[in-house]
Amino acid sequence: MANVLWLQGGACSGNTISFLNAEEPTLVDLITDFGINILWHPSLGLELGDDLQQLLQDCVSGKIPVDILVFEGTVVNAPKGSGEWNRFAGRPMKDWLADLSKVAAFVVAVGDCATYGGIPAMEPNPSESVGLQFLKRKEGGSLGTDYRSQAGLPVINIPGCPAHPDWISQILVAVATGRVGDITLDEFHRPETFFRSFTQTGCTRNMHFSYKASTQDFGQRTGCLFYDMGCRGPMTHSSCNRILWNRVSSKTRAGMPCLGCTEPEFPFHDLKPGTVFKTQTVMGVPKELPPGINKKDYALLTVVAKDTSPSWASDDFFTV
Amino acid sequence: MAVQKLEISPVGRVEGDLDVRVDIEDGYVVNAWTKAELFRGFEVILRGKDPQAGLIVTPRICGICGASHLSCASWALDTAWGTEVPRNAILARNLGQLVETIQSHPRHFYALYAIDLTNKKYKNSPFYEEACKRFSAFTGTSYEIAITTSAKPVELYALFGGQWPHSSYMVPGGVMCAPTLTDVTRGWGIMEYFRTNWLEPVWLGCSLERYEQIQTYEDFLEWLDESPNHANSDLGFYWRMGLDIGLDKYGAGPGKYLTWGYLPHEDKYQKPTIEGRNAAVIMKGGVYDSFTDTHQMVDHTFTRENTSHAWYEEGTADVHPFDRTTVPKEINTGDYEGKYSWSTAVSHKDLGRMEVGSLARQLVAGGKHGESWQHYDGLVLDMFKKMGGPSIHLREFARMHESVKLYREVERCLREFKLNDPWYIKPTEKDGRGWGGTEASRGALCHWVEVEGGKIKNYQVIAPTTWNVGPRDGNHTRGPIEDALIGIPIEDPTNPVEVGHVARSFDSCLVCTVHAHDAKTGKELARFRTN
Repeated sequence: MANVLWLQGGACSGNTISFLNAEEPTLVDLITDFGINILWHPSLGLELGDDLQQLLQDCVSGKIPVDILVFEGTVVNAPKGSGEWNRFAGRPMKDWLADLSKVAAFVVAVGDCATYGGIPAMEPNPSESVGLQFLKRKEGGSLGTDYRSQAGLPVINIPGCPAHPDWISQILVAVATGRVGDITLDEFHRPETFFRSFTQTGCTRNMHFSYKASTQDFGQRTGCLFYDMGCRGPMTHSSCNRILWNRVSSKTRAGMPCLGCTEPEFPFHDLKPGTVFKTQTVMGVPKELPPGINKKDYALLTVVAKDTSPSWASDDFFTV
Repeated sequence: MAVQKLEISPVGRVEGDLDVRVDIEDGYVVNAWTKAELFRGFEVILRGKDPQAGLIVTPRICGICGASHLSCASWALDTAWGTEVPRNAILARNLGQLVETIQSHPRHFYALYAIDLTNKKYKNSPFYEEACKRFSAFTGTSYEIAITTSAKPVELYALFGGQWPHSSYMVPGGVMCAPTLTDVTRGWGIMEYFRTNWLEPVWLGCSLERYEQIQTYEDFLEWLDESPNHANSDLGFYWRMGLDIGLDKYGAGPGKYLTWGYLPHEDKYQKPTIEGRNAAVIMKGGVYDSFTDTHQMVDHTFTRENTSHAWYEEGTADVHPFDRTTVPKEINTGDYEGKYSWSTAVSHKDLGRMEVGSLARQLVAGGKHGESWQHYDGLVLDMFKKMGGPSIHLREFARMHESVKLYREVERCLREFKLNDPWYIKPTEKDGRGWGGTEASRGALCHWVEVEGGKIKNYQVIAPTTWNVGPRDGNHTRGPIEDALIGIPIEDPTNPVEVGHVARSFDSCLVCTVHAHDAKTGKELARFRTN
């Protein structure tokens, strides 16, 4: 039996609602088959008011063990570091987080906001939001670089805007079934099992990527979105094209450029004019290249790929 | 008997952080205050950004109504840029809105609302044992099947948009996708699954066709008695239990209702304008005033915001959202005589405070105003009149009643797609002002945008919960939920489930009640006028 307490800071509930779509296992299976006991969740919990405040106090005092503390949303510090702009159960949420993180065996940050600060932390960050252990790429966040949970781990970050439901439920299952030792974390504390490969891995447009065949505009049935449409699939770490969304698809499969939402810089370029759904180029060459390749080799590859591009590369490929 | 003050922080199972204070006298609520306790400042984040930034940012205002925000954001830019939106794209946008709402209704009912029927308060009701069996969180027989099958409709969203929540597949000029035959046929299959596994057997206890025959209150009662399958379906069971425990007796609210209308018709809104919208939407917009029993058309220019009791320092006058200066109050101490919420008080300039949501939509759907081809449905209005007005029970019924008609609209979209026609017409970016409205599952949502010099100059959002959960206004009139709390019985102050019923029947979503300002500088935002 693992007690899970789920709280929301500066959140949109997107990760919660994404989590409800979990299939393997479903939310209900998690609870009935894997012994996950949800102590409280903002959208699902039974207690309100004083009853909840008592429950939280009991968690802080250690009377009720918190095996997994899940946090969704940013940690709001406004105004002036006080956190009063996000009050919950009678006090700033950041104070609850500080207390509860001291007693939790594991702390899991779900979604970009809790991981890096996400969209609320975009310039000018009116709510003075940070993530649990990061603000974008910068270490520290709300709990500090040296923070370790009772089990000795830093915050386990499951980024994404929202996080894929299976990323959430499978980490919970790993903890509940004693497989924590198999969770390896990268430099942003992301479980490598989901965040080592690229969003592009498994994309149905990979052939077009190889031949440098570009989607020129929206609403087309051909091409790769990387060259003109601002797709960040090759530079983004996620399993979106390996573990599909809602069982059926992914953004890039459906014709939407990847926004790189599992990476700390999301939303990239702070969405400045001219940066939305447009590849940033210099002399027609994308400014950002897939990681691990140098510009010279890439230029050579481009010439060769275009020369060998098959005749079908610009036709309707995904035909009606 | 002395007035007892009850502070409830938080009221869970609403989206975001809602605190409520009620004053109780002789077991009944005599005064109430709703407080929105989270502030993120989305509109300021959007200032100076790419005109299309709203397509990415605003769905993140609310993960539950992402498609609704995306719809507003794209239609707002369409009207600002003067785009042409192809027929397929209108259908594809409507489909996204529809499946999101269809998904939301059961999740609202089972995960947020019906759990309260298992509260110990009702242990003496003859329905209690069965309610616990069906509706208990996680383990209830209906709870499990509803939560699981509710994930199905949004699989269509993923087929067209890549994922749900938080795709940005709707863009000015159309949509990003170009679906193929398989996407449409899979869509049919998924919807059929939803219909045959939950909507018909679990919720209705009958076919969609049989349910659609219900036109009046009497028809509904007749349906209830017609077959044990109807009486014992979740709808039939809920209806009977709700009457038994008195949910039809309280939680009325302001008695005036607003909807922007939604789902532009694919042949009538290909050149979108703000002025042309009312006559182009399938589900008509309007205002219903139950005190005079009149319907009238609605227009975004009627909207007024007041910050007398909200944590902003902008005087006490009513202003149109475009004219707000948005000056935040840094120290947000709760003062019930003064300022006590991040939500502003929104009203209709002539009719005052309005309730929005499914009940509002269904009461407007019963009006004879609007275009002859627009959707008409008199059932909820008939029930409203014959049951003595609004209540928690009718509000919840109205919400779930929509599931069937929205399902039919999904079928229509799937039938109407012409796969070889365009999905996108590249627009020319330009400066201008736009407005986009829709109906999120929990009510009227709209975005105002002004683009100047190729970037966003001003972005304003008024979300359904801003209407519903707003504090007192400049005339000290209570907001709709505050109003709905008046007169409710509180049997046990240590178990104020009745407050939960009311708040949840509105499906409050606090995360949407956002407003802009610059915390760092306290700088005034640009103003601009609509005339």
